[in-house]
Amino acid sequence: MEPTLVLALLEPFNGYIYPNEYFLQWELLIVLYPYLTGLVAGAFILASLERVFHVKALLPVYRLALLSALAFLIAAPLPLMAHLGHPERALEMLVTPHTASAMAMFGFVYAWYLLVVLLLEIWFDYRADIVNLSNSKTGLMKYVYKILTLGATDLSPEALQFDEKAGRLITIIGIPSAFMLHGYVGFIFGSIKANPWWSSVLMPIVFLFSAIVSGMAAVLLIYMVASWARWKPIDMACVNKLAEFLLYAMLVDFTLEILDFIHRLYESEESIHILSQLISDRLFISLIISQVLIGGLLPLFGILVGRYGKFPDEMRKMFYFLVGILIQVGIFSMRWNVVIGGQMFSKSLRGLTTYKVHLMGIEGLLVSIGFLILPLAVLFVLLRLLPPWLNEKSEEKAIPVA
Amino acid sequence: MSKGKVPHQLMVLSVIAVAVIAGFFVMRAYLTPKSFGKYGHYRADAIDDVRNLPVSYAGVNVCASCHEEVFQKKAKGFHRGVTCEVCHGPAAAHAEDNSIKPEAPRQRGGCPLCHNYNPARPTGFPQIITAEHNPGKPCMTCHNPHDPVPPTTPEDCGVCHRSIAAQKLVSKHSSVECTTCHQVPKQHFVNPRLNRVGKPTNNEACGNCHGSDVKTQPQVPKVETAKHAGRYLCWECHYPHSPENTP
Ligand code: HEC
Ligand code: HEC
Ligand code: HEC
Ligand code: HEC
Ligand code: HEC
Ligand code: HEC
Ligand code: HEC
Ligand code: HEC
Repeated sequence: MEPTLVLALLEPFNGYIYPNEYFLQWELLIVLYPYLTGLVAGAFILASLERVFHVKALLPVYRLALLSALAFLIAAPLPLMAHLGHPERALEMLVTPHTASAMAMFGFVYAWYLLVVLLLEIWFDYRADIVNLSNSKTGLMKYVYKILTLGATDLSPEALQFDEKAGRLITIIGIPSAFMLHGYVGFIFGSIKANPWWSSVLMPIVFLFSAIVSGMAAVLLIYMVASWARWKPIDMACVNKLAEFLLYAMLVDFTLEILDFIHRLYESEESIHILSQLISDRLFISLIISQVLIGGLLPLFGILVGRYGKFPDEMRKMFYFLVGILIQVGIFSMRWNVVIGGQMFSKSLRGLTTYKVHLMGIEGLLVSIGFLILPLAVLFVLLRLLPPWLNEKSEEKAIPVA
Repeated sequence: MSKGKVPHQLMVLSVIAVAVIAGFFVMRAYLTPKSFGKYGHYRADAIDDVRNLPVSYAGVNVCASCHEEVFQKKAKGFHRGVTCEVCHGPAAAHAEDNSIKPEAPRQRGGCPLCHNYNPARPTGFPQIITAEHNPGKPCMTCHNPHDPVPPTTPEDCGVCHRSIAAQKLVSKHSSVECTTCHQVPKQHFVNPRLNRVGKPTNNEACGNCHGSDVKTQPQVPKVETAKHAGRYLCWECHYPHSPENTP
């Protein structure tokens, strides 16, 4: 037969796809969003470990975790807004919210989390420092801090004790809020019943635990880099503890994902054929190699060895650092596999399409890298404004008389 | 601060909280469109806005009033279902004022929007691989856009059934001709919709080669047709154009 027929097989799709499945509607920017909110939720849960559950070893990263959560939270909605094309219209969802829309309701969860949980907790935690800074600084910064005090300059022991109590209360409220923040993202995907790759009640929980993993790892990385940049020793007790929690979170996360996988296999719905093709063909690199092996099993193994092996501290730190990076790769791949993978197979369950990342354009690689750097820049400014290490000098003050 | 008094922080925050919430409601009152909610959860004026948009398409009946000849010709041809302004673009302005010329897709780019090969298109829809179908020449040189007929009759089923042919080509059935299973009237090549092709109706079509009681080449796998298929048709389980795709 004609050779052209063979060429037809090399088209970017195979099998049967509906015409509107040729282009993916949700691209790289939508991958970024769950990744960034995941970091927020994870960093916040880490902070609450110290605050609510009194894991004292984690004190050196407590404030850092809060500020990281804030930085990522500020950046998180931006990729979504950019994807909208008309960012200003995002506001309409809040102005005329529809109670049947999960997305509209989430606007309020986001506002709650930003305004009531994170900003308030940071403010209560830093208030004494801010008041001190507003007295010691000169020039413009003095007024910046003055504004940040919001006029509450009372430093009496009762006032400080109230700060402490309020902060704790907010953290307790904050934990379910953080769960909602990230559970929502999984909820949105999990409730798309027409898409067998997404539709799963486990989705919110899987998202949540992967969020915790990525957020903890991110704070670990930020803490190590910040310490190196400041020529300060890394608190080994702290990173060891962090590594332990990371290990637990990873184990739960991994178990959940395996459970999801086995459940799908066992259920073996009519979609199983196309999904297994999806995994073995389109998502092989990003799922099997990048998510499971490089970003899942390897760091799991690395952290086990790094934490419980007999190594000098320097070596341990290297282990943790590499594990932190691998975890980011793994969790990012997981977001990619969910968002992109869910659009690569036809709803007819008979064909697959492909997706190539562009370099330029609003959905392109460069813009996405920009959105990944942005929260780090925000964090840099926040660290300048509210240095978490203020309490290094006066350790007693930071440990409250609970 | 003495015992029993409301902490200063709380007062400050309460003021701010009240301000933020009040601000939200003020903003909401200000930003919610006047006509919102009149008919449903949307801005009722949007309907008028859309109605007031300038009309850019005139519709085929308007074109026909002046271009009777083209209209008649197209109405009889394969493109009868494709209206004028799909190819010529919105032409309401031209219908008002004939000195404004509508576009005509004279280059090669226009026609492949519909005719370039895409497996998602229905079977039998005329498709080509643009890069290989008489490259370099505009489509109009051989096909009249208002009455497109292929200058020669295609010889191969794959010209129109590309996806099936491509699938079969790499399947175990590559050596089995289409006509072994389908009875194809000659006229199907010229006027496919009016000259239907027969499809196998019973399991003998497959049993002729795969039945354990027939003599075909040894490499053809054999099954006891009646027992193996039961009361089903073979193609309820095996896709005939790619038989190895068995559930
Ligand atoms: C009121 C009569 C009238 C109507 C209605 C009308 N046309 Fe025309 N059209 C003309 C005339 C007259 C010409 C020839 C102009 C010329 O050759 O200078 C023409 C020319 C054209 C051409 C050729 C342009 C070219 O580049 O040579 C196209 C294509 C065309 N019309 C399409 C349409 C379509 C599509 C519609 C329907 C939306 C339409 N016309 C409606 C009168 C009309
Ligand atoms: C499949 C696309 C297509 C459709 C549908 C189509 N045209 Fe055309 N039309 C063309 C192309 C391509 C040309 C240019 C032909 C040429 O230059 O030889 C053209 C040229 C014309 C011309 C100018 C030359 C001529 O042949 O008279 C007119 C008038 C015209 N079209 C009117 C119409 C009207 C009226 C309709 C709807 C009844 C219509 N066309 C539908 C593609 C189309
Ligand atoms: C809006 C979509 C559309 C565009 C654009 C279009 N066509 Fe078609 N074409 C069709 C449809 C629909 C048929 C009829 C298919 C059928 O009968 O199954 C068809 C049929 C044909 C046929 C096949 C006739 C046959 O023997 O089966 C040819 C050749 C053709 N078009 C050529 C062209 C050329 C050349 C152009 C560009 C000037 C063009 N088409 C633009 C939709 C389009
Ligand atoms: C050199 C002349 C020539 C040019 C130029 C040309 N074609 Fe064809 N076309 C043919 C011939 C001859 C056939 C008959 C089928 C075959 O054997 O390939 C055909 C068949 C077709 C068919 C399939 C008809 C069917 O019944 O399935 C379509 C569709 C088609 N052409 C569209 C186009 C389009 C679109 C262009 C421009 C990109 C184009 N042709 C350019 C000569 C030409
Ligand atoms: C000129 C294009 C063309 C060629 C060449 C062609 N077909 Fe078709 N064929 C069609 C179209 C168009 C239909 C869709 C008829 C419909 O559904 O109305 C069709 C339908 C069919 C059907 C399905 C009938 C049904 O009722 O579902 C079969 C089977 C078929 N063709 C087989 C063949 C075989 C085998 C060949 C080669 C020997 C062939 N065709 C060559 C255009 C073509
Ligand atoms: C081994 C026998 C066999 C061969 C060889 C075969 N077909 Fe079929 N074909 C069938 C059967 C059986 C059906 C009916 C399937 C059904 O109804 O689900 C069918 C259905 C079709 C249909 C309509 C339904 C569909 O699947 O889209 C088309 C079109 C068709 N064949 C075209 C072709 C063409 C073109 C070739 C050659 C490239 C070919 N067939 C070769 C057995 C065959
Ligand atoms: C003209 C003879 C012929 C007819 C008719 C025929 N086949 Fe086949 N079939 C073959 C040949 C040849 C092979 C390939 C044997 C090999 O090389 O492995 C084959 C292979 C197969 C296989 C095995 C694929 C595998 O995974 O190894 C299945 C299943 C099959 N055919 C089903 C069917 C069905 C269903 C029909 C009826 C729609 C049918 N065949 C009609 C000749 C035929
Ligand atoms: C109820 C579903 C069903 C029906 C109906 C059916 N098959 Fe099968 N067939 C299968 C399955 C499943 C296999 C694979 C079994 C295996 O590998 O042991 C198979 C295997 C085959 C094979 C390959 C055997 C081999 O040794 O590789 C052939 C040939 C075959 N079938 C032909 C047919 C023919 C001819 C018919 C119609 C008379 C038919 N089948 C009807 C389900 C079906």
